[in-house]
Amino acid sequence: MPATEYQGSFLSRISIRRNQVVSMDGNHEQELEELEIFQKNISERFSDLISDDSSSSSNSASSSEPFLSIAWVRKLLDVFLCCEAEFKAVLIMGRDPSLISKPPLDRLIPELFDRAVKALDICNAVMHGIDSVRQCQKLAEIAAASLEQRPLGEGQARRAKKALAGLLSAMGIDETSGGHKSAERSWSFGRRGGGGGGVSVTKDRGSGQSRASTWGVPKNWSAAKQIQVMSANLVAPRGAEASGLAMPVYIMSIVTVFVMWALIAAIPCQERTGLATHFQVPRQLGWAQSMVWLHEKIGEELKKKEKKGASPVGLLEEIQKMEKLGQSLLEFSDGFQYPVPEEKLDEAAAQVADLTETCRRMEDGLVPLQHQIREVFHRIVRSRTEVLDVLDHAGKSSAPSV
Amino acid sequence: MGDCEFPVTNHEVQHHLAAAAHHIFMALKACGNLKDDVKQVLSDLNSCLPNELVDQSSGRLLMDMKDQIRHPEEVIMRWESYQGMIWDSGSTEASRYLDAVAEIQRIICAVEGLPTLSDGWQKELSLRAHCILQIAMSKLEEELMHILVQNKQCYEPEYMSFRSYMEDLTYDDSFLSVEDCNVEPMTRADDSRSSPEQCLLNLIQPEMVYAVKSIATVMFASKHDKEFCQAFVRARKDALEEYLYILEMKQFTVEDIFKMDWKSLSREIKKWEWALRIIVRVYLKSERWLCDQILGVFGQASLNCSFVEITWGAMLQFLNFGEVIAMAPRQPDRLFRILNVYETLADLVLDIDAVFIEESGNFIRLEFHSLLGRLGDYIKGAFREFRNCIASDRPRKAFTSSVHPFTNYAMNYIRTLTSYRDTLNFLLCHEEADGLEPSLEPENGEEDSLYRSCPLARHIRLVASLLEDNLESRSKLLKDEPLQHIFMMNNIHYMVQKIKDSDLRQHFGDEWVRKQNGNFQHHANDYIRTTWSSALFLLKDSERSDRSLFYSSSLREKCRKFIEAFEQIYKNQTGWIIPDPQLREDIQISTSQRVIQAYRSFLGKNSERIGDRYIKYNADDLENLVLDFFEGSPRLLRSSRRR
Repeated sequence: MPATEYQGSFLSRISIRRNQVVSMDGNHEQELEELEIFQKNISERFSDLISDDSSSSSNSASSSEPFLSIAWVRKLLDVFLCCEAEFKAVLIMGRDPSLISKPPLDRLIPELFDRAVKALDICNAVMHGIDSVRQCQKLAEIAAASLEQRPLGEGQARRAKKALAGLLSAMGIDETSGGHKSAERSWSFGRRGGGGGGVSVTKDRGSGQSRASTWGVPKNWSAAKQIQVMSANLVAPRGAEASGLAMPVYIMSIVTVFVMWALIAAIPCQERTGLATHFQVPRQLGWAQSMVWLHEKIGEELKKKEKKGASPVGLLEEIQKMEKLGQSLLEFSDGFQYPVPEEKLDEAAAQVADLTETCRRMEDGLVPLQHQIREVFHRIVRSRTEVLDVLDHAGKSSAPSV
Repeated sequence: MGDCEFPVTNHEVQHHLAAAAHHIFMALKACGNLKDDVKQVLSDLNSCLPNELVDQSSGRLLMDMKDQIRHPEEVIMRWESYQGMIWDSGSTEASRYLDAVAEIQRIICAVEGLPTLSDGWQKELSLRAHCILQIAMSKLEEELMHILVQNKQCYEPEYMSFRSYMEDLTYDDSFLSVEDCNVEPMTRADDSRSSPEQCLLNLIQPEMVYAVKSIATVMFASKHDKEFCQAFVRARKDALEEYLYILEMKQFTVEDIFKMDWKSLSREIKKWEWALRIIVRVYLKSERWLCDQILGVFGQASLNCSFVEITWGAMLQFLNFGEVIAMAPRQPDRLFRILNVYETLADLVLDIDAVFIEESGNFIRLEFHSLLGRLGDYIKGAFREFRNCIASDRPRKAFTSSVHPFTNYAMNYIRTLTSYRDTLNFLLCHEEADGLEPSLEPENGEEDSLYRSCPLARHIRLVASLLEDNLESRSKLLKDEPLQHIFMMNNIHYMVQKIKDSDLRQHFGDEWVRKQNGNFQHHANDYIRTTWSSALFLLKDSERSDRSLFYSSSLREKCRKFIEAFEQIYKNQTGWIIPDPQLREDIQISTSQRVIQAYRSFLGKNSERIGDRYIKYNADDLENLVLDFFEGSPRLLRSSRRR
């Protein structure tokens, strides 16, 4: 990813400037300039996420990542990591630490940390979400491999059907009605759904009460609510504050909430009802335009899905594809009767090839995506510690030394 | 091989030979474990045989197989109409079923080994066999889940009881409240009893391992390995989740942990440590052993992947909890708990490395190592905080003369630190003990080497010197100068005693103890000087030239004044406390030696001139009165004359 390149130059520029100017008195102008560069970078990064897809995927001449694909989400996370590094540079590098212990930052920083902690829970839930997608991928692979066999007989069709039924039920899709089941909880491969082994697993211990949840978060945790709480106290700084450090803190908060929101939208996650309406990107701000656009587009997708059923599966392109192909191939295997007309067989073969390709992309992308989410987790933790250390020093130096 | 021709001698003989050869080829092919190149040679040879003969013989083979398939088909289909489970019906049924599946597999191999025939028979037979095989595979998967669920074993041996583990802990967080004077000396938790022996448990009933293995064998042979692994992983993952539930491991969000008060968090941390130990030492090893027993023969890849998939979620849960505790505010009162966590984890990473040795386990392995690093950072940070607290804690109001709870706290803290000596030496070796006074550097060669080899020693001596500075400034809050010295003596004596009586001595060295004894003596002298100098001045020999009456009355006056001063000091200092009896006695003795001795000789020289009735107390009376000093209960001397 080229992102790290600009990041390096931006950081070194900041530190050099600080070293030169910090000794002089009036560094407000320099601060404004830094803030401007920071906003410009944010805006550019996010517009990179659009330009690839703005021509609505019809002719993506460049090697761009399809909107909401695994590769795109990974790019989004890269953008987050870059923004985060720059934010930290603006906030603490070479700066007088006492600045961030004074108003309004003394209020804004704890709020930022609070959001960071909530983001960590989202990262964890999404990690587990990806794990459940990987289980689905395995079922899709079984189905695809079975339907690739020739001659294709009832045996192969049965095998595929079993795998696909398991796949769709794990995704929370009821194969009989074609609609979605009530909750995405069934995404979990815990004690129901799955490969359709059909054996009741719960034998003792509080009949079916989910013990440790498969989501990596407690049962009553809600991803949608988390976003709602994270964005609840997000207020753009006004007046004099707008030109100070309050601004980057605000921007970073918006970036964090947006990225977490997009992750939850893309990847199956515990309890996402109402996600579409829980967060709005402020429209009037120049640097946020690309984000506004992305937010609208993802929001539309979410609403489309919500209309269809109670609760959407992840919007991740590969998941959507897997769902669609899975449903269609399930129909095919379900009504399978030997011999199959050549035409129908060809149609299925094309879908199988598509499914195999989708599985391949998942195979290549999901584990690195998981690792990247973990990196985001660690980065958030580290930054928090670093800012706390700075605050700590500030606290010490300002305390009367006896 | 192209010119392979049969000499035309006898048509009949040729036909028989060709038919025999064909049968041999078919039989060889059907046995399935031939290498590809050998198969190629066989089919090349076979293609040289006369066509009509092959068709004829294949046709006969197909006819045979059509007969042969009937029996296994029946066995398999019978179980479809019947609701029961095969393995529940006994091993005979099970092996009959497995044999049937093997037979179907053989037939599929044989049919597919035949050269393609023009009529639909062959295809039909192949599809039929595949269909039966698929039905059998579904059934076997169901059986597998059933066996794994019904036969899982969750151990709850005695050593696993968390309650008994908790009782073992002598560690008490409450010692850390500085204000609490009644501080019990703290000992480190002895967690050796809580660490389970490394052992392998049967996570499913051992007699069923063979059943699972035999299912694995047929499913892998039918290329249903993915289905097998999926079902196996799902069942084992559930079992692990259930086990965590038995261990009472709750699922927390990062936020939950952040909001927890220290008492509950500390409890959860202990539980986490305890559960992690069991999971890593016992459960993971046993799980890996089980995977190895069942999947080992099919190659390392499916074994490792399955093992990692089974354990991934649970390990992530442990990791996340660890991450959050390493994020918590770095407070000195949390240091020991986190030190325990660190030591537990440091102890376990080797085991974690061993079970997650392959590439698929990299993620878990690396995460645990980096968690260990972050816990190390936490410990360094919390230690710095402790040092800062010792250096900068400034009281607003004066304390009594006794051992300050702060000293008590600091010394207990230091003593507890030394029980984590190896860990702290490792973690602190690159930490600067900044502000370390050069005078604290030992000169003695032997101690010097200890000092260098033990970073902890360097750090705790720094803390001790910071503590002394702190006490010095606390003593200044006391109004009476003598009281300041008593306070210092009490506290330094306490420090020295703590150090001498424990293995702290080796961290401080004899030189340090000697220095502190000197320091202590210095305060003792200063105490005597500041308390008694004016009174003792009265007893000094004056010029003996004046032998007048006035001289006697001046002696009387001196004596009276001295007693007055003594009474005043008595009233004051009987209220002061020296808690250590030995120390109290020492100070009383040196008071007697310096003060009572002077009084005794004063009286010896002058008693006649003063006259008995003017002598309120003789030296022995005072010597006895000195014994009331520093007992902590203020007393008054009767002002009435004795006689």
